Amino acid sequence: MIKPIQKQKKNKVGAVLVIGGGIAGIQTSLDLAESGQKVYLLERSPAIGGNMARLDKTFPTNDCSMCILSPKIVECGRHRNIELLTLSDFESIEGEPGSFKIKLRHRARYVDPSKCTGCGSCLENCPTQNLLRLDGDNVKLDLKPEYINLVDYLLKEHGASQKSVMRILQEINTQLRFLPETALLYLSEKLDIPISTLYRIGSFYKAFSFKPRGKYIISVCSGTACHVRGSSSIVDEIEKILKIKNGETTEDGKFTLETVNCVGACALGPVIVINGNYHGHLTRDKIEPILKEYV
Amino acid sequence: MKIKSIQDLKELHIKKSIQFKDKHRMISVCGGTGCRASKALDVLAAFKKELKTLDETVILKETGCHGFCEKGPLVVIRPEDIFYQQVTPEDVPEIIEKTIIKGEIIDSLLFEIPETKKKIIKEHDVPFYKGQERIVFGYNGYIDPENIDDYIGMGGYTALGKALTKMQPDNVISEIEKSGLRGRGGGGFLTGKKWRSCSNAKHEHKYVICNADEGDPGAFMDRSIVEGNPHSVLEGMIIGAYAIGASEGYVYIRTEYPLAVLRLEHAITKAREMGLLGKQIIGTNFDFDIFIARGSGAFVCGESSALIASIEGKPGEPRAKHIHMTESGLFGKPTTLNNVETWANIPFIINKGSDWFSSIGTENSKGTKVFSLVGQVNLTGLVEVPMGITINEVVNGIGGGVPKGRKLKAVQTGGPSGGCIPTSMMDLPVDFDSLTAVGSMMGSGGLIVMDDRTCMVDVAKYFTGFLVEESCGKCNSCREGLKHMVEVLTRICCGNGKNGDIELLEDLCDIIGSASLCGLGTSAPNPVKSTLKYFRNEYIAHILDKKCPAKVCTALIEYSIIDEKCKKCGLCLKHCPAGAISGEKKQIPLLDQSKCTKCGICVNKCKFEAINVN
Repeated sequence: MIKPIQKQKKNKVGAVLVIGGGIAGIQTSLDLAESGQKVYLLERSPAIGGNMARLDKTFPTNDCSMCILSPKIVECGRHRNIELLTLSDFESIEGEPGSFKIKLRHRARYVDPSKCTGCGSCLENCPTQNLLRLDGDNVKLDLKPEYINLVDYLLKEHGASQKSVMRILQEINTQLRFLPETALLYLSEKLDIPISTLYRIGSFYKAFSFKPRGKYIISVCSGTACHVRGSSSIVDEIEKILKIKNGETTEDGKFTLETVNCVGACALGPVIVINGNYHGHLTRDKIEPILKEYV
Repeated sequence: MKIKSIQDLKELHIKKSIQFKDKHRMISVCGGTGCRASKALDVLAAFKKELKTLDETVILKETGCHGFCEKGPLVVIRPEDIFYQQVTPEDVPEIIEKTIIKGEIIDSLLFEIPETKKKIIKEHDVPFYKGQERIVFGYNGYIDPENIDDYIGMGGYTALGKALTKMQPDNVISEIEKSGLRGRGGGGFLTGKKWRSCSNAKHEHKYVICNADEGDPGAFMDRSIVEGNPHSVLEGMIIGAYAIGASEGYVYIRTEYPLAVLRLEHAITKAREMGLLGKQIIGTNFDFDIFIARGSGAFVCGESSALIASIEGKPGEPRAKHIHMTESGLFGKPTTLNNVETWANIPFIINKGSDWFSSIGTENSKGTKVFSLVGQVNLTGLVEVPMGITINEVVNGIGGGVPKGRKLKAVQTGGPSGGCIPTSMMDLPVDFDSLTAVGSMMGSGGLIVMDDRTCMVDVAKYFTGFLVEESCGKCNSCREGLKHMVEVLTRICCGNGKNGDIELLEDLCDIIGSASLCGLGTSAPNPVKSTLKYFRNEYIAHILDKKCPAKVCTALIEYSIIDEKCKKCGLCLKHCPAGAISGEKKQIPLLDQSKCTKCGICVNKCKFEAINVN
């Protein structure tokens, strides 16, 4: 398709079309734009970024991929020489080097990108987002009646609004010792809050757990006062005795080991709390007898 | 009984105040979490059992935290203020027999000054209490936190009565402005100024919030106030609400403090029953109510905008504060947020006047501050001291110095985002501005004492590691920057530090501090910054000489047995968890370096200091 240079027309256009808004397309566009070319960056999806945005780390340096990508995305969006053509498909091409004519299909966005600030309010308020399962009736939820009863009771007790979400999640977490997925889905439907929001809250706060926790929760204080008095060796010892790692639950579902920032009993350090009972002034050899009390 | 007028309140105050007639005694048993963990409840039960036989001249009270957690369980006999420490249930019959009935003093239960072996009888003569000025904690040893009558008997809710009946909201704010009270949560913003701007905001609904999300490791004063005297916080909040015109209040409290939550719930219920919360408080036209919101273990929720997001039922992420909270806070309405200690100060200022309050403290920091004095110090606990007292007075005077004749190395203030202050600055007055000037901060009031066995690089690593866990992840600089900082610090502690690492850390400090949104991020570099400033030599020793001067970093130390000092007792051999020490009886044991985990147990067990750390 590319003809020898001497046969090119003289009135060349100083513009380039880059197809695909992934990291390669973005970098290409930036390089071209920097060298003075007008760049049209074509992307099928609603936003540039591509696959790299979905990666956590990049090979081989283990660098954080968003840290590399996001400055480039922003620069691309801002660059005066780059025009983004998102939600667009390539249809046809004609002409020769220096003067191509491209036909694109631009799909409707329903949002004016020049005015959108990306605040996300529309996402939160979209009425069609909170569908329980998009794949319809094929999937049956294994929703235990006790979960329904508990959630219904809590909704009645604390009110069905965004304000009471924390309270309800805390109650579920204390009573069932974790947040079961089905109970959250049911709650999401009842409250009309997207399940993703509930997951976000559930994963943001440390007190919540998505996995069933043990009957006895051993919280080792890792506050400064306990740290300088050697709380980390206490964690080691408990890990050794119960054969679990920090954050895990024993196989018989009896103990869960976790560290907390500070239980505010600094005079007793190192201190552990087992289901609300404080055990202070600990040394390695005191651990085993204490754990035996709970077996 | 419902309090319907100011007259009712006065009558109740007189009726419930404690008058010690002859032979009347009050036994106050500390029921704070610290003492409870040292079996204070058993002591209380023993008293209850024994007292059944006595008549009604003796009052038994389970009170809030007395502050001196180190020596718990504490028992104080009033009105003589006889101070007994480390009381066991077995001591109880003796106390009743000798002290209560005969008025004798039991020597073995008294506090003893370690150096002079002198026994102290009275509570206020104990060195720990002597240098203190207890205002916020003043009632703690006297009242049962679950009994509202006790609080009213001590003069509680009279400030509220005064504010509601004799003062206009505007006067209340002026009084607070004049007092010069600054926020006790760490920022040190002028409380009166905050109230004024919230009061000026035009909206029919306003909120007051009490921040009881005390997340700083090593700090527990807010908890002790809420556990020991919850009504003082409520009273402060009601007065504040009246001043700014709020109709609802929230207390955001940590879920890790179950006892505090319980006592607060109880206090709110009682206050509602008495007509101190709800509609027409003390017979006036002022309506106000308080609700509890519990946290769920996220440190960042102590930050005001994150806290508000959490009450609203969202993930606790901070937001940019282009619009101040006093204009648009909780649910988008004007909000005044103060710390527990700030609220607890309010009733005293209203009752005793702003002049009295501003006479305490320094020019720009008025009043007292509660510190939790913890770490490597003889007497740990909560101390309430006037602002401007020197660090030396707190650590060596009240805290009794560093134990076991060790040397003081640094004092860390302000929680994880505070800084370490070296011994050369021990005469620094403790107030908002002086601490900020040396690169630390007041924070919520943690004072962590470190002796010469503390490695400052390890300390910086610990705090930065803490902040990595607690960063909410919203800002790139804080999320990734802190993580990278820990990587560098870990590398240094492991002996793999490189030339240029210190400069790299300094670079990171600048970026994290300037590019983060909330207080957590902007102050996050403080631990590294201050240790770099005052203990740079230690960093250099780690990086260049591959040595840990404090002998803490396990990768840089080695244990060995000193043959001359070893008495062949075999204690180290018996206690070594890794099986690294071996040998026959009556022989100097052998230490296998390849098995040694450097846990330090043998050093602690050896009575002859025969184990050397290099």
